[in-house]
Amino acid sequence: MFWHGFIIGSIVVFILILAYRIIRIASLPVHLRWELAPIPHERDRSKYGGSYLEVYEWWQKPRKKSLTAVIKYMAVEILLLRAIWKYNRALWPLSLTFHAGIYLVILAILLSIIHALVSIGGATSELLLDIAWIIAITGYVLGGLGVVGLILKRISNEGLRPFSSFTTYFNLFFLGAVFLTGYMSWMKAENLAADMSLIIKQTLTLDNAINISYPLSLHIGLSLVFLIYLPMTNMIHFIAKYFTYHEIRWDDEPQDAKMTVKILGLMKQPVGWASSHIKTEEKKNWADTSSGHEKT
Amino acid sequence: MKKLKLTDIAANENTPLTELNIDELIPLPPPYDRAGDLPGFRQLTEDQRQRLVCNLDGVVSYAGLPKPENEAEKKKYIEQFLGGLKKLLDKENNWTFLQPLILSLDYCAQCQTCNDACPVYLASGRNDLYRPTYRSEIFRRLIDKYGKTGGKLRARLTGKDIRLNWATITRLYELSYRCNLCRRCAQACPMGVDNALITRELRKLFSQELGWAPKELHEKGTVLQLEVGSPTGLNPRVAIDNLEFLDEEFSEATGIDVKTVWDKQGADVLLIHSAGDIISFPESPISFTILCNAAGINWTLSSEIGGYDGVNYGLFYDDVQLARVAIRHAEIARKLGVKKIVMGECGHQHKAFITVADRVLTGDLNIPRESVMTFLENLVFSGKIEFDPSKNDFPVTLHDPCNVVRNLGIVEPQRRILRYLCPQFREMTPSGVDNYCCGGGGGLSVMSDVNFTDWKVNVSGRMKFKQVLEAFADVPGPEVNKYVCAPCLNCKLQFRDIFEHYGAKERSGIICGGLAELIVNAMVDIKTPFIKWFDD
Ligand code: SF4
Ligand code: SF4
Repeated sequence: MFWHGFIIGSIVVFILILAYRIIRIASLPVHLRWELAPIPHERDRSKYGGSYLEVYEWWQKPRKKSLTAVIKYMAVEILLLRAIWKYNRALWPLSLTFHAGIYLVILAILLSIIHALVSIGGATSELLLDIAWIIAITGYVLGGLGVVGLILKRISNEGLRPFSSFTTYFNLFFLGAVFLTGYMSWMKAENLAADMSLIIKQTLTLDNAINISYPLSLHIGLSLVFLIYLPMTNMIHFIAKYFTYHEIRWDDEPQDAKMTVKILGLMKQPVGWASSHIKTEEKKNWADTSSGHEKT
Repeated sequence: MKKLKLTDIAANENTPLTELNIDELIPLPPPYDRAGDLPGFRQLTEDQRQRLVCNLDGVVSYAGLPKPENEAEKKKYIEQFLGGLKKLLDKENNWTFLQPLILSLDYCAQCQTCNDACPVYLASGRNDLYRPTYRSEIFRRLIDKYGKTGGKLRARLTGKDIRLNWATITRLYELSYRCNLCRRCAQACPMGVDNALITRELRKLFSQELGWAPKELHEKGTVLQLEVGSPTGLNPRVAIDNLEFLDEEFSEATGIDVKTVWDKQGADVLLIHSAGDIISFPESPISFTILCNAAGINWTLSSEIGGYDGVNYGLFYDDVQLARVAIRHAEIARKLGVKKIVMGECGHQHKAFITVADRVLTGDLNIPRESVMTFLENLVFSGKIEFDPSKNDFPVTLHDPCNVVRNLGIVEPQRRILRYLCPQFREMTPSGVDNYCCGGGGGLSVMSDVNFTDWKVNVSGRMKFKQVLEAFADVPGPEVNKYVCAPCLNCKLQFRDIFEHYGAKERSGIICGGLAELIVNAMVDIKTPFIKWFDD
């Protein structure tokens, strides 16, 4: 039962910590608008970074928004790392290799899960396992190369070195160990995806026959510890990015009734800043402080 | 150039971290390519070095920074800094920007992709001090250490320990004014981290908690605006007098009746200029008067305190002042009963009033606010005024004010006007939302304490000046008059300083002005050229 507990427990802890961090970010108060062009949902204007404010008396005209453009933009950003390509071409090949490794390993795991689910129903697909197997090994190799490349780059580059802390290297080494043990397991196994799929199936069905041998045991163990560790770090930037893009850079919604209610609530909060142009004898709230004229 | 470590920020409190050397800055195109031919960099005198806090880069932007007599006084300021740091992380005191701040602090991947997007860093010849990440990472580490549970232990264990002392806080203060808040770095960041926002939060901490802010932005900026009417010092009476005088002068010069409208109750449009234009670029407000009257627009200016100056320096350093100025503007419009408010040619007014303050303008203060670019575009293409573009047949390039273009996405209306009215219009490279800041963004253009102007014209404005020269590379000599259209008062002030410093008018024939002047210059009804190339 050790493995069942370990696998399920790690996933649950991962989800809980991740959810906690997402809720923490999402529950922060509404902020003032801080958008930044280009905003992809601007249907006819995003190509050059234009916005609805380019329209004469914009408040009288309907907005033309495009969800497809947003999805396309994010897909290119996530899969091909658009910003790094555009602004940091020298880092792009390494960063892409590294991220591609991660994406492929995740994809291989997803395929293994699908196969496990199918096999619970009694069916099996060699083809699916072969595809997952190829994807997994490609992922381990690319991820490993990416880790080595990024570590070397951080050590050798004068711009990166001062900003690379112990944590930066620790995270890279940790991921490197996950990729390396994955590669070692692949070398040893006949079909790693088949083994994975079996383990997933045995976990899902609480099958006591579960038996994981070295080095796959080390790989899975490390991966699960990494899974618990991940949401405690800034490596969950894939989540943060949702907020920095959608809730800040692209949040260009003008004030509406719903927003007004939220803001009026926030404006009732006390202001505790100590500078003489803000501080008054009796503590004021934001609404009072920012309306009438305060003597400085 | 000396390489800097993050921990250097806390070392040797009386010694500058770096000294600027003109030879190390990126080269400019001819005839400005020989450092020896250019005016030098004003070094601080021995007396200034003794009197002032000068421990960053040999430049002082604020002579009013206190110089503590003893350790106890230093400790008091450090305690205040820590108090402010905690307030920045607090839902009550910093609800305005808490979410963007926390995201920008917690999710930087340290990839340094943003560095090469920064015009200041590039122009400096890649001086470590001016990396967008240098000040942000130090601030981030201080927040992690002092603002979070277990921070001190974690800082030690992870090797991210930054000492907090007098040197750290004074250098951070100065360094927060070595950034244009242009957000070019934010645009480049794959994570959506915003170093400009972090810089502004740092400025806020100093202003809102310690009372440290450049005098041009605070004491003679927002405070003066709210008390007297404008950071220029113009009170309502003097503002009206000045414009009446200008009306007369331009009526005579143009041969048409120029009459500025004041305080017209129920007008369709309340136009809010930057009052600095009345003093430094009077042809700008007059152009608007001419255009609005010619197009038959029902418009007005306001003579209420604050109502004739659209600037809002709070955007650069202080949320409370930002809200006070924006609310003041909206209240004035409400009282006049206007249908909409039109921004003058002022970039940060656009950003402060149209978007950033949008959420504090609740209820009947939420009066529609429009950009001057769309307003002018509508006016030019309305068919109500006749134009002759051949009157503008000289090389024109367009500067994109960051606060209008990168921040608000208003890119094309001004270009459509220029393509129509200026036969020799050409773009700079890069332009539009990828533009470089003029170097005066973030309030820097109005700051001129001690030797700060030297820094602005040599470092922060360098990329822009280079771009301007490159845009006119086909006609480099002074025999061809060239016009940089900068539809923003602060940008124009910065261009004026740059052009004066390098003698760009005499050596290259380049002047700078707004958009409305170009439109008026092309009007068939204006018989003598409206744009003056030489001071006569
Ligand atoms: S701010 Fe963005 S681009 Fe700059 S180092 Fe951090 S993650 Fe990279
Ligand atoms: S906001 Fe502009 S000037 Fe400031 S760090 Fe970013 S790119 Fe540089």
